[in-house]
Amino acid sequence: MTEQRSTSVSTKASRQLWGRPELYTSYGQNLRMLNTRPKQVAVVAMVLLAATYVPFGLPDEWLHLFAMGLAAAIGAIGLNIVTGYAGQVSLGHAFFLAIGAYTASALSGEPGRRTIGFGITFLPLWLLAAGVVAGVAGVIVAPLATRLRGLYLAIVTLGLVFLGLHIFKEWKALTGGPGVGRQGPVPEMFGQRLDRNGDLLTGDQKMYLLTLVLLVIFAVFARNLVRSKVGRAFAAVRDRDIAADVIGVSVTRYKVLAFGISSFYAGCAGALLYAVLGRVEPDSFNLLLSIQFVAMVLIGGAGTISGSIMGALFITMLPRLTQELPTVLPFISSDVTAPLGAANLAIIFYGLMIILFLIFEPRGLFGIWIRIRNYFKAWPFSY
Amino acid sequence: MTQIAEPGTKTTTTIVTRVRDRARTMPDAVAMREKDFGIWQEVPWSDYWDKIELVGHALLALGVRPGDRVAIQSENRREWLYTDLATVAVRAMTVGLYPTNPASEVAYLLAHSGSKVLLAEDQEQVDKVLAVLDQLPELERIVYLEPRGIRRRYDNPKLLFWEDLLAMGAEHREAHPRAVEETMSQARADDIMTLVYTSGTTGPPKGAMLSVANVEFSVETLIESGGFTSPPPSTDDIMLSYLPLCHVAERIFTTWFNSSAGVQVNFAESIATVQPNLREIQPTILFGVPRIWEKVLAGVNIKIASASPAKRALARFWLKVADGIGDTLVRTGGKHTPGTRLRYALGYLFLYRALRDRIGMRKVRYAASGAAPIAPDVLKFFMGIGVPMHEVYGMTENSAIATANRPGRVKLGTVGEPHPGVDLRIDEETGEILTRHAGVFAGYWRDEEATAKAVDEQGWLHTGDVGVWVDDTHVRITDRMKDIIITAGGKNVAPSEIENALKVSPYIKEAVVIGDKRPYLTALIGVELETVGEWAQRKRIPYTTYRDLSERPEVDKLVQGIVDDVNKKFATVEQIKKFRMLPKELDHEDGELTATQKVKRSALGKLFDDLVESMYAKGGGA
Repeated sequence: MTEQRSTSVSTKASRQLWGRPELYTSYGQNLRMLNTRPKQVAVVAMVLLAATYVPFGLPDEWLHLFAMGLAAAIGAIGLNIVTGYAGQVSLGHAFFLAIGAYTASALSGEPGRRTIGFGITFLPLWLLAAGVVAGVAGVIVAPLATRLRGLYLAIVTLGLVFLGLHIFKEWKALTGGPGVGRQGPVPEMFGQRLDRNGDLLTGDQKMYLLTLVLLVIFAVFARNLVRSKVGRAFAAVRDRDIAADVIGVSVTRYKVLAFGISSFYAGCAGALLYAVLGRVEPDSFNLLLSIQFVAMVLIGGAGTISGSIMGALFITMLPRLTQELPTVLPFISSDVTAPLGAANLAIIFYGLMIILFLIFEPRGLFGIWIRIRNYFKAWPFSY
Repeated sequence: MTQIAEPGTKTTTTIVTRVRDRARTMPDAVAMREKDFGIWQEVPWSDYWDKIELVGHALLALGVRPGDRVAIQSENRREWLYTDLATVAVRAMTVGLYPTNPASEVAYLLAHSGSKVLLAEDQEQVDKVLAVLDQLPELERIVYLEPRGIRRRYDNPKLLFWEDLLAMGAEHREAHPRAVEETMSQARADDIMTLVYTSGTTGPPKGAMLSVANVEFSVETLIESGGFTSPPPSTDDIMLSYLPLCHVAERIFTTWFNSSAGVQVNFAESIATVQPNLREIQPTILFGVPRIWEKVLAGVNIKIASASPAKRALARFWLKVADGIGDTLVRTGGKHTPGTRLRYALGYLFLYRALRDRIGMRKVRYAASGAAPIAPDVLKFFMGIGVPMHEVYGMTENSAIATANRPGRVKLGTVGEPHPGVDLRIDEETGEILTRHAGVFAGYWRDEEATAKAVDEQGWLHTGDVGVWVDDTHVRITDRMKDIIITAGGKNVAPSEIENALKVSPYIKEAVVIGDKRPYLTALIGVELETVGEWAQRKRIPYTTYRDLSERPEVDKLVQGIVDDVNKKFATVEQIKKFRMLPKELDHEDGELTATQKVKRSALGKLFDDLVESMYAKGGGA
């Protein structure tokens, strides 16, 4: 009888009653990622806007910035998986970004030059390689997390950054050395250089569209991951690893998995980010870069995918915004070295924003959105 | 599936033949839904008919013969309908028991009806019947639906698991493929289809016998010719089934609407989840008893009171507008004027759409209140926010066919106009409402005396309700005849009107007016724990239990205010001079309420004798 029932249900899964969003007649309908009409409309509209108006309506200078923001968003999603979902605070994100960036640069670099190069410029290949190498590094580091928790883990991952910084400075054959650097990954697909102006599109337009497509893919994958069995296991480990162990979640396994996936994302993001920038410099993979990614996660909203994207765009745009400040506020110097200069101001802002968000809106930009949404969802009541 | 009787063979139409025909014409359309593991599982008409046939075969295999009784004690669910219709298919009678009936009442009902088979939902119901099994010699089988706690623990040979019953049915169908079809084709219009036991506010319940012809008349009058809804219900309509199915009202709205008009039935998970289920299902046709409507109204008021200031102000403003719309609608009989349409359209944007969505009535095209008297203010509220509300009247003994407010011709405070084809008159002497039509029941089961009292020689059914004509078209019911209070001063007072006026307040759940042969009226009042509890929290009044809360002086003052307000609406003799708080929530198990949550006045008077007397004691406190 049970068999008969399940077949009769599955054949009618497509039939849904109009105007009754909460009436679930099949699990498929219940599990849909965009489960309500407004969500479907809004997401499709946003993606359409990002794919049409932005690349063709905004100046290239902005597109370049957006492309960086979108690439950073992939990295932020990665950090959010390990920190926001699995609860393992990591300050070592810059290290994994660096591994991705150098793997891709070395693979796509021209052979026979001052720095290592293998001449494999096909983008999907070096992007995948960057992710895999970083992911493997993440898996190697992960056992630390099974021994340490919270602050101790943060300190140890901080050590990774300095370790990496030293290696990259010294390994001149790979990185070109401090102050010099090397060319970033070469984005090429089917004989087309994506970072150079073409007949139809400019380089910035192409890079923007590339990062947009990749971000959508990575974001959808991450969203599906975190609402699957794996995602629930991550959340269980985050909320209390002992309790998770008791209910049958293999803590070691999921911590390793979280680090692996997170580092894979970081590797891909690093490769893309420096493909957009065009040049890799070993000094840039410092603590500040890690802090920037932590800021993206915290300001966007820990434990949310869309929050990571918001946070990444916000943090990437911030230096550009502070650059505009001296024209509005005359007491701020546009001199880079001045104590209250635009460059330092951006750094002060990160700190301030992290502190303010942690105190007033721990759920980040996403939390603000949720608050607004719930206000109207509960209409005309308050709960 | 087995062969089906040749169309064209002349058989009596029953609700089962209707389901069978629908299974043939629209096999894949949804007949009903029930929530299982978070998903509303859909049952198409073909499955529905298949199950009915299977259970019918099983009943035949169990030895159920035409005229035997099959009892059902379960919450509303698919199996209730399968068994009910299968029983009709094999020409036996369905006896519905309330899931809340305690063991003693189960014993009475099963023994009185002489039921042969009982469908008991779960361990709770099985335990009740097992406790009184020695008083039930005619009971042969107890079929249970939920095996938890029963299977492999109880070894009573009479117990039978539902799946095993279905297996028996399948076996029987294999051996006698046309047995159910043949029994169905022998059905006659005067077959008794069901025994509906009245709730029994005064004495033991009486089993009203409804025949196939009664039910067919009811289906024809109320459903097919649109006696309630306009236009008549169709397969696009959606219902939520949540009131006990053994009551004739829910039987009409669930089983009969479903089988005759193809309305999709959705079973609520339980009475406690009616609110969330309403929101999910958003029914198009909704029937409720006054208690349900009062509770929804109280919920809205409480939630608005605790909303943020901006939302509160907005909601209050638009509710006031709704009040005005309601007033106009009351004057026009439910027909909109251009003015109300405009106001409603604006309010729809700001409040009514969202509010109706929240209470699960956004798609309701027809709402009805019945089974007990209701305060007009409650109905007006729903009319104002755009839920077309209609008070209807009927009782088990006339297959629920008497009067109804028709869409567009609503008169608030009345129960509406008699249905076409219904003779209705009001006795000149006693004021009692009498009805006569093809739906008048076949009599009380094994109770000739009561039957003779209810139906006179000319076929008039004595309803026991006192009423008057309003504008010669609509009927207004004053009260139950035996409830009318005659005070020591000789004045006739209808207590239910005063009680319902009190129950409009979200804080009052029960109100019982007392005063028969007394110098003045008094009342026993029970507060609504949920709303008064929240009120007390907002006022920072600490309390522990229901009793503690009721006895707080602040609560006493709150209720006094409500009583004073209500008193203003009534003449001096009809005013409540004193009241006392009930120290407990009234309950079916304790014998204070009937299964339909109606107060047993006589029982209450005895139980709270000291409270009542204290109100009439000389120099007793205010």
